[in-house]
Amino acid sequence: MIDYLISIATYVGFYMILALALNLQWGQTGMVNFGIAGFYGLGAYTSGLLTIDAGWPWLGALLAAGVLNMLFGACVSFLSIRLRDDFLAIVTLGFAEIVRLVLLNEDWLTRGPRGLPIDVQPLSGSLDRESYGIFYLLLVFVVVGFVFFVTERLRKAPYGRVMRGIREDDLVAETLGKNVLYYRIQVFAVGAFFMGIAGALYAHYVQNISPEHFTPMLSIFIWMSVIFGGAGNNKGLLIGASLVMMIIEGTRFLGDFIKFIDAGSLSSIRIILIGVMMILVIRFRPQGIFPEERFRQP
Amino acid sequence: MLQILFNGLLNGAVIALPAIAFTMLFGILKFPNFSIGAFITVGAYAAMVANTYFGWQLWLSAIFAMLITALLIWLSDQLVFKPLRSATSITLLVVSIAVAFIVESIIRLIFGGDIQGLDLELTRPIRFGGFRFTIDQLWIIGIVMLVMLLVSIILKYTQLGKAMRATSDNFDLAEVRGINTSHVIAATWLMGGLLLGLSGLLIGIDLVIEPQIGWFLTIPVFAAAILGGIGSPYGAMIGSVLVGLAEELTGAFLAPSYKVAVGFVIIAILLMFRPQGLFGLPEIKK
Amino acid sequence: MPETILITKKLFSGYYGGDIVKDIELSVSSNEIVTVIGPNGAGKSTLIKTIAGLVPTREGNILFEDQRIDHLRASEIARLGIAYVPQEANVFRTLTVSENLEMGAWTLPEKKEQHAKQVYQLFPDLKERKNDRVGNLSGGQRQMVALGMALMVDPKILLLDEPSAGLSPKLVSEMFDIIKSVNQNGVSVLMVEQNAVQALKMSDRAYVLASGKIKLDGPASELLQNVEVRELYLGVSS
Repeated sequence: MIDYLISIATYVGFYMILALALNLQWGQTGMVNFGIAGFYGLGAYTSGLLTIDAGWPWLGALLAAGVLNMLFGACVSFLSIRLRDDFLAIVTLGFAEIVRLVLLNEDWLTRGPRGLPIDVQPLSGSLDRESYGIFYLLLVFVVVGFVFFVTERLRKAPYGRVMRGIREDDLVAETLGKNVLYYRIQVFAVGAFFMGIAGALYAHYVQNISPEHFTPMLSIFIWMSVIFGGAGNNKGLLIGASLVMMIIEGTRFLGDFIKFIDAGSLSSIRIILIGVMMILVIRFRPQGIFPEERFRQP
Repeated sequence: MLQILFNGLLNGAVIALPAIAFTMLFGILKFPNFSIGAFITVGAYAAMVANTYFGWQLWLSAIFAMLITALLIWLSDQLVFKPLRSATSITLLVVSIAVAFIVESIIRLIFGGDIQGLDLELTRPIRFGGFRFTIDQLWIIGIVMLVMLLVSIILKYTQLGKAMRATSDNFDLAEVRGINTSHVIAATWLMGGLLLGLSGLLIGIDLVIEPQIGWFLTIPVFAAAILGGIGSPYGAMIGSVLVGLAEELTGAFLAPSYKVAVGFVIIAILLMFRPQGLFGLPEIKK
Repeated sequence: MPETILITKKLFSGYYGGDIVKDIELSVSSNEIVTVIGPNGAGKSTLIKTIAGLVPTREGNILFEDQRIDHLRASEIARLGIAYVPQEANVFRTLTVSENLEMGAWTLPEKKEQHAKQVYQLFPDLKERKNDRVGNLSGGQRQMVALGMALMVDPKILLLDEPSAGLSPKLVSEMFDIIKSVNQNGVSVLMVEQNAVQALKMSDRAYVLASGKIKLDGPASELLQNVEVRELYLGVSS
């Protein structure tokens, strides 16, 4: 039971990192990213392949995953010059799907749908299973804390104010003389970096990844976390991420008690629930459960 | 080569009607509705129910599918999209994706995830040199062309059709010239639903029936609509054929599984360099 | 005594976040031409849009022929005989000239052919280009289509937002001449204009709007002579 809870908490940690990164991109500058799953997957596979096939040390692979994601993120963010919100969402979704397709098809590299087993882990072998679970949980939450710290600082700093200006009105920010595009690329890249780190952490935790772990549904879950928490609000989305995970796992629990619902139906019910909640939140409480605090001057 | 052209035309035919529905809804309501794929699936399953459960003929099943789909998509507007009429297009896009997932999951819950099919006579493919096709495929192309002609006539010559084109062109102006845009919106949903329902049946004939079948069409449909110029039904028709051809060519020269990427690539290129597509007016800038 | 057909009482309107139009008391009588002038950003467009039903009234009343119209939707207001011509986006660019006129006649389809003939007489240029997509026409021709559409339903009052905008000086005179002759056929006109001098010359009365409020009003000829108006709004240095 404890193992299970630790495992759930670790997954919440991954979601939190992704949500914080997404919030950096969307909540602060208005850039819509529906390709979260793609960045996550890229991070996971980069780190996995570097450790397994190229013998890299775990930490190096992790950082490499982040850096590669940064590069992709910078490229994808160029699209935002010409694309309005909804189109950027669709194109980033396309990016994620193309990533998934490549991961699926180029199985000479990625092992395709069979999955990539990853047996490299930080401190592997030195702890028993239960303690290892706790160790990894702590590791993930240290990263969560770091990402939270960084994104909060960016939010409150003058840099953060510029970014909010960008979110509120392109024209305004532009007439202020700031190089809108430059900031956009930076922010997007930083967000992508963190998504890559999350992916790497995930890969070395579950120790077997396949393209079907990185579907659009995942991007929806992360968006839900941000929407629940109120876009722009970092504290809120931590709670949002936990809520989403509770819903996902809650329905799994339900399956254990209600025997006549099979896994497939459970999955459908879960999706219906999440979808309905999303619509309800957008409809009745679009500012989220914890709306963004009025920005106070430091 | 002829085979590729024919397959491209067939692909195009399959996405043409949804593309018309999509582009008209986008033109009038100003947001990309990503639930249209799910309603194609609704049409397919409704047709299957009528055809295999009730034992009805295909043509009757088609009508059943069209009516059910029109009703349900109209309901989705009443329940979800209409209350959010003033929301931004990104919000509406996200909501439409939620609707798509909900509808697909409900279908999965009711019918399960297995592949199903319509009650069709097995027909032998006809061969012609290196070229093969089936009668069913010809029927699909024929029906789609007929419906496209019908839609064109409605849009060009009927009062409702002209009002739809005007409202899609300029919503506020249509209002101040006395057009009741609420009626036009309702009519567009209905027409869209009918087209999507029929498409579901055609998909059931051409491919298979399973819960994700409509979702896979969403991106090619969107690509076709953008290519033809958002709001232009004629553009959507031509865009569909072009997208269909592009997919076939990609499948032939790269791996068949990359076909789905074609839609995304077309979309990205168009949106970056020519967002008004072939027949639209340059307007969709940020 | 000419009867008032349009009157606003303590009208406030705007978009989310604040009123643009404040405490407006304005009236138009039958057969009158009334012009609203003022600096950019004064709220002239918003005022006209509010009367037309495109911007919601936050406070106050708008009465047309003694009937309250401030809570009606724009298509219902149009049906009452109020024809609004926006400044921009005032034609259906993807439709042909004749289709545009057809749309104009939406609330009076029986008179479609007859009125189309009259509009083509008024704007012979358009007759030649009946079947052209309006998006392909010149700016001046588009303005003609815009006005022509409004005339298709024998409106009781025209609400015009800068009818001379973007037109060459020759076309501006023509446009004002046409508006004058339409008025002489019994149509009241309420127009917003940037081309203040010419507009005042052909109007009966005028209002000066600044920062959302009415600063001055009176007979157009008087305002034309008013020193303050001349300096501030007519660009005439004393």
